[in-house]
Amino acid sequence: MTTNTTSERFTVPIGPQHPALKEPGAFRFNVDGEIVTSATVRLGYAHRGIEKLAENQNWVQNIYLFERTCGICSHTHATTYCLGVEKLAGVEVSPRVSAIRTLVAELERIHSHLLWLGVSAHEAGFDTLFMFGWRDRETVMDLLEMISGNRVNYSVNILGGVKVDVTPEIVEQILAGVDLLEERTKHYLDVVSTDAGFLQRTRGVGVMTREQAEALGAVGPTARASGVARDLRVDAPYLSYSDFPVQMILDDRGDLEARFVVRLRELFESYRLLRELVTHMPEGELATRMPRRIKAGETVSRLEAPRGDVFYFIQSNGSDKPARVHVRTPTVCNMTSVVKLALGHQLADVPLILAGIDPCFSCNDR
Amino acid sequence: MNTVTTIAALLLFPSGLILLLSGLAFEWADRKLLAQYQNRLGPRWFQPLADVVKLLAKEEVVPEGVNRTLFIALPIAGLAGALTAALYTPLFGLQPAYSFRGDLIVTLYLLSLLTLCMGLAGSNTLDRFSLVGATRTLTQLFSYEAPFMLALLGPAVAAGSWQISEIADYSSAGRYLLLTQPLGFLVAIVGLMGKLELPPFDAPEAETEIVAGALTEYSGRGLALFRLGKGVELVVGLTLVAAFYMGGVANPLLWLVKTLILLLVMVALQALFTRLRIDQTVGLWWRYGALLVLVQWLIMVLVGLL
Repeated sequence: MTTNTTSERFTVPIGPQHPALKEPGAFRFNVDGEIVTSATVRLGYAHRGIEKLAENQNWVQNIYLFERTCGICSHTHATTYCLGVEKLAGVEVSPRVSAIRTLVAELERIHSHLLWLGVSAHEAGFDTLFMFGWRDRETVMDLLEMISGNRVNYSVNILGGVKVDVTPEIVEQILAGVDLLEERTKHYLDVVSTDAGFLQRTRGVGVMTREQAEALGAVGPTARASGVARDLRVDAPYLSYSDFPVQMILDDRGDLEARFVVRLRELFESYRLLRELVTHMPEGELATRMPRRIKAGETVSRLEAPRGDVFYFIQSNGSDKPARVHVRTPTVCNMTSVVKLALGHQLADVPLILAGIDPCFSCNDR
Repeated sequence: MNTVTTIAALLLFPSGLILLLSGLAFEWADRKLLAQYQNRLGPRWFQPLADVVKLLAKEEVVPEGVNRTLFIALPIAGLAGALTAALYTPLFGLQPAYSFRGDLIVTLYLLSLLTLCMGLAGSNTLDRFSLVGATRTLTQLFSYEAPFMLALLGPAVAAGSWQISEIADYSSAGRYLLLTQPLGFLVAIVGLMGKLELPPFDAPEAETEIVAGALTEYSGRGLALFRLGKGVELVVGLTLVAAFYMGGVANPLLWLVKTLILLLVMVALQALFTRLRIDQTVGLWWRYGALLVLVQWLIMVLVGLL
């Protein structure tokens, strides 16, 4: 075991095993007392070689592979993959399929943001908000379980369609659940914006200006909290977002408080969208026949995951296995901002700054 | 004094074993109440006891590069300090086992001995987390100690004595100092939370930043002794504040009721706030804590002069 002591500076390791991290990642912060003077990060602990594995499995098997890239954005990965393959094959899915995929995607966004709220509150030491937020997350997990049978990793996609249908009973439950969640989210937004102790930990901490966000290539709510107007649901509508548009939530402060506020306000947009979607669910068949061998070609599909934009490049050589699938996940873009922003902050702020980008190391490492 | 009764007093009741078990019981009450505030179930009644038994059964790993004697001795010294402090307080509503003039100061210093031992234990290691935790523990010690001590000395001035038993008797005679010295009471409660490193003052053992703070390297017996020491400190601290401010603890039932009410308030404060960063803790104490207690003293002096 080496100790790195230069006068009064030492290296505090956060990871790969650390209570602040839910997944492994090795951060090394050189601190002078409590102030961080430099930081490095080493990732790849959750690398499973998914992109290579995809080349050895057929198009259908790969849905199940990509779903498992991440637990909390699994539907996003599967949907992006399916959209790409369907584009390559030239298959148009029915509006109902798109609507159901959108429904589950928005429920996943709600699930992810509520989970994130709890985890970030825990990093700040505000365990009560953590416990309450996760209690309410149970509501959205129950809805997802009703639709798909699973609380996490819903697996509703198949190539050319979806496996599940939304019945009137489910619609009723969704509306009731969304009402409850909206009330609770109002309360959390209130807490996050006005609780003095919490604001002491989040206001003015980890400020990332718009120029910095654009230079570092930040995406998702992290970037929108710095005023970067980038949201794929608005910029490049996919699935049902052209028929059921979303408003982009921006904030120009760029600090941790802004990130909390942006994600919570995005929840309100999701609730509104869900209500509209389930009450105006288009008709259509649930699955369209897809060929076993996909035509040769290459395509790009992009989706707005809860953390930012997910990008899939899919190349086919005409066989029943993909030639190449490349995945670029949002955390890859946001991770550099952590090491940049942590400089000059106190050690106590570091877990919060890390949690502020909503890191998903599994997505990052694939 | 009869040697047998002395030894029984030190080892069993009111100090010693019964005190250790009460420490565990109060720790359970704290965890259970906090869980109820957070809308969850909380541990079963024997959880802290099970934790201690498990820890005592585990292998104690002495890390490389530490001073072995200090590593083993510090938890013992800390627990001893807490247990000794208990001898001078009206535990369980009974008269303190030992009492002499000025024992209030001695008790407060003995309570700090536990914190000091934890800080030293954290410094006595090469582990980065422990070093940062130890720095924070000692920094926090320097910040809340002065206001907390002054807050406990307020009743001493009112009672005209530095002896805990006399101050407790003074309060037992129907004088609710929490009403006449509210600022002192507030500083005493919050100071107790700082002393016990309860949230929001748990920066020294901030789990999400520095794993377990000063005690990161401890396992097995050493950790068990520190935990027992914290439990004892909880009981002793609650007893002192209840005895001074809440109208004394004349008999065991009153003691139980008052300390539990105080614990309820403290747990509510724990559930309500975010953890403060160490610089925010210091700022809070040296600005508002010290200010409030000095204002309280000023009021006391002026009222005394009138």
